[in-house]
Amino acid sequence: MSRKSYGYTKAFALALLLSMSLVSAPQAVELDPGLQDYMAVSGVSGNLKSIGSDTLNNLMTLWSEGFRSHYPSVKVEIEGKGSSTAPPALIEGTAQFGPMSREMKSKEIEAFEQKYGYKPSSIRVAVDSLAVFVHKDNPIRCLTLKQVDAIFSKTRKGGYEKEILTWGDLGLTGEWAAKPISLYGRNSASGTYGYFKEVALYGGDYKDTVKEQPGSSAVVQGIASDKYAIGYSGVGYKTADVRTVPLAVKEGACFDATAENAYTGDYPLARFLYVYLNRNPNEKIDPVRSEFIKYIFSRQGQQVVIKDGFYPVSRALADEDLKALAVR
Amino acid sequence: MYKSITFALTRTATAADQTAEAVKYIRRKGRSDLSARGEPFLWGLGGALAFGMLMIFGFLALIVWNGLVTFYPKPVQVVTLSDGTLLAGEPSRSEVYKPGPQVLEHLDEPARQAIAAEHGYARRTLFRTGNFDLYNEDFRWASDFSIVSVAEPADVYFIERIEWGPFVGFIRSLNLKGETVSGAALTRQILEEAHRRAVQRRELIREIEREEIGAVNHRLNSERLKLKRIALKQGENSDTYRQAAAESLALQETLQGRYHDLARDAQAVKAEDAQYTVTLAEIGGRGKTIPLSQVVRFTLPNDMSFFEKIRLYLSRWLEFLTDEPREANAEGGVMPALFGTFVMTVLMALAVAPFGVMAALYLREYAKQGKLVSVVRICVNNLAGVPSIVYGVFGLGFFAYICGGTIDRLFFPERLPNPVFGTGGLLWASLTLALLTVPVVIVATEEALAAVPQSMREGSLACGASRWQTIKYIVLPRALPGIMTGLILAMARGAGEVAPLMLVGVVKLAPELPLDGFFPYIHLERSFMHLGFHIFDVGFQSRNSEAGKPMVFVTTLLLISLVAFLNATAIVIRNRLKRRFLIGHF
Repeated sequence: MSRKSYGYTKAFALALLLSMSLVSAPQAVELDPGLQDYMAVSGVSGNLKSIGSDTLNNLMTLWSEGFRSHYPSVKVEIEGKGSSTAPPALIEGTAQFGPMSREMKSKEIEAFEQKYGYKPSSIRVAVDSLAVFVHKDNPIRCLTLKQVDAIFSKTRKGGYEKEILTWGDLGLTGEWAAKPISLYGRNSASGTYGYFKEVALYGGDYKDTVKEQPGSSAVVQGIASDKYAIGYSGVGYKTADVRTVPLAVKEGACFDATAENAYTGDYPLARFLYVYLNRNPNEKIDPVRSEFIKYIFSRQGQQVVIKDGFYPVSRALADEDLKALAVR
Repeated sequence: MYKSITFALTRTATAADQTAEAVKYIRRKGRSDLSARGEPFLWGLGGALAFGMLMIFGFLALIVWNGLVTFYPKPVQVVTLSDGTLLAGEPSRSEVYKPGPQVLEHLDEPARQAIAAEHGYARRTLFRTGNFDLYNEDFRWASDFSIVSVAEPADVYFIERIEWGPFVGFIRSLNLKGETVSGAALTRQILEEAHRRAVQRRELIREIEREEIGAVNHRLNSERLKLKRIALKQGENSDTYRQAAAESLALQETLQGRYHDLARDAQAVKAEDAQYTVTLAEIGGRGKTIPLSQVVRFTLPNDMSFFEKIRLYLSRWLEFLTDEPREANAEGGVMPALFGTFVMTVLMALAVAPFGVMAALYLREYAKQGKLVSVVRICVNNLAGVPSIVYGVFGLGFFAYICGGTIDRLFFPERLPNPVFGTGGLLWASLTLALLTVPVVIVATEEALAAVPQSMREGSLACGASRWQTIKYIVLPRALPGIMTGLILAMARGAGEVAPLMLVGVVKLAPELPLDGFFPYIHLERSFMHLGFHIFDVGFQSRNSEAGKPMVFVTTLLLISLVAFLNATAIVIRNRLKRRFLIGHF
């Protein structure tokens, strides 16, 4: 299992390195200058409905706001209750787009294929660092993935020698030493839940004491009001009341959840965010959807990604996905 | 004289003795039988009522207060920190905390002593700094020991923008079509005049794009669908299709031409608009140039009179009530949600009233009172106790997927695989809520019918009226106020319900209102926004939960006001009915 999760990270880093022109500025997230301005075309009208990830909920909303400024007569509806709601919605045909914060599972792809006879298509729309948050006063400096596993998991597949229950187990002293760690996480419909389980928990099981929250922002709010808390959520939901903990695969090599570390693949919980759609490979994709995809990969669309706290994708990656969908 | 006084005293004493005796008697009696007097119970009941009232009014006061102060302009403070950097922002809240050893070791001696004097505690304040595009954060904490000085300069602006949230800083210059205005030449009048024009341009662009291009696009799309429909019915090789295709192509071409004209107009206004920009500077000196039309309003929060503040306050409320949401619902208004809640509640009332009243009439007036009717009654009462989310699941499965799916296959084959009615929408949400509230109406109607004296029915029947005539002319008018009460309760419950709606049609963003200028004008199949869900969304889903919190209170206040308004309307109607009934009586 652990090999599999490293595979994830490695494949991710590779995909990014192949396609990214590395961002040089240390803090500010910058757009790939190669991304093109969006040019509106005529005759785009109709309905767009998106059902899926809660992590991508605000991003989809912002995109559709931007898209509507070009095509005011397009009717947009956004629903986001978790990545697991996307595949059924695509299969039932109740949505045109299924944003997901993880890749579709083979079972979900199978169910889709059974109904339509072809696989669902996906595009990689943004890069996210899944961050481990603690309260802003928490002095913890760094956590290894194995420690994270021992904090959140009851199976401890990462191989850490003992269960971590208090902050003292992580080496904190003073008032922190005896305080039990209060755990916050997402509900099981969420792709964040699935990804964290796969990568940070090495496929193991969560402890029963994890307080499952209905939204990414709810996790952050929970941690903000609970001094001894730890939890995971998309980095875009960070507020002034919480702080991200640098993570390390190997002891000592800690990387914080920044854009740069996500692009180089050093940050172990960096991931792509996806949007899935139902596209018959033998037919041309309808104009509303193809324009929306083009908008996502335009300069304006990726600017929105920064606005929502995530990291933009590069021109090369965008071109690759556009080509795969035969959208010019 | 002396005698009379003594007499008087003795008399008083005797009277006092008698009173004491009586009190003793009562006390003795009270001790022996406390419950018989009932006073402790009175206190208990009164206390329970007082406690209940306190909780309700406390809750309402919390919401009303927090909701009302949100839009009132707050001062912007410029804070000099001990490391020399400046920070500008609205102080939003402060708290006491205990700095850890890691923090303490980096502090200088006076600061450490100050903290030690407070027993290791320090105070810190959260500032809303805005400028998310420059800082990548909207809020920042500043501890009191790291603050050197605080000022409230009169020339610092709080600028609300269409995108990226507020900007806190200064205006460096105004660029009006190549002509740069800055320094002393940049007066308030010039700024306001330029901004007013920019807003006009923004609205013009919006009108061209929304109204005119929207209409063209709508026609183009319906042409496309019409053709697809013919293709599905007659086949692509039929003559009808070919003829229709040729016609459609010609029409599409003219429409495309019209689109290009309009798009060119819009582009021209946009190009013109892009030449009017304003250059802002944050407190640290970093600049940012944005189009003037991107600004919602400029305010100088530290240099405003009371009336200006009230004007700003009201204009923010107006924006909140009449505008569409912006920035993933975190800013702008809630008009679509307000409208959606209103329309859904009214539709629900229209659906639930006839069904509930008819069911109750049959149960009370026609059905033979026996075991079966009792069982039905128990079932209806139990329905009121089913968790609302269960109704949501039923609504999604039955209404949306089964009913809606069938409607789509029969009437909208050309739109498949995109569903029209086969997904959650206004109609299905209203029907689901009607189902949820129908027990309330049935129970209330039955009670109202039972309260009509039997002698009146008998009198009517004795005069030769049929059963239906009796119900229509004698029973129903007298029961109407009671039925209205049931409907009011149902509406109050329905308007505040969120859980089932999340499954059957309420979405995060649906700026299209269910009413518009395109045939058939009312679009029952559309998903809609709802204030209750909006509260959940802003509170628990928005990127910036800190900025979302005050909006939660405002939206809650609005939802409560809407429910109160709907109820008040129903109560007025009920009272009118009562009065009519009384006049008719005598």
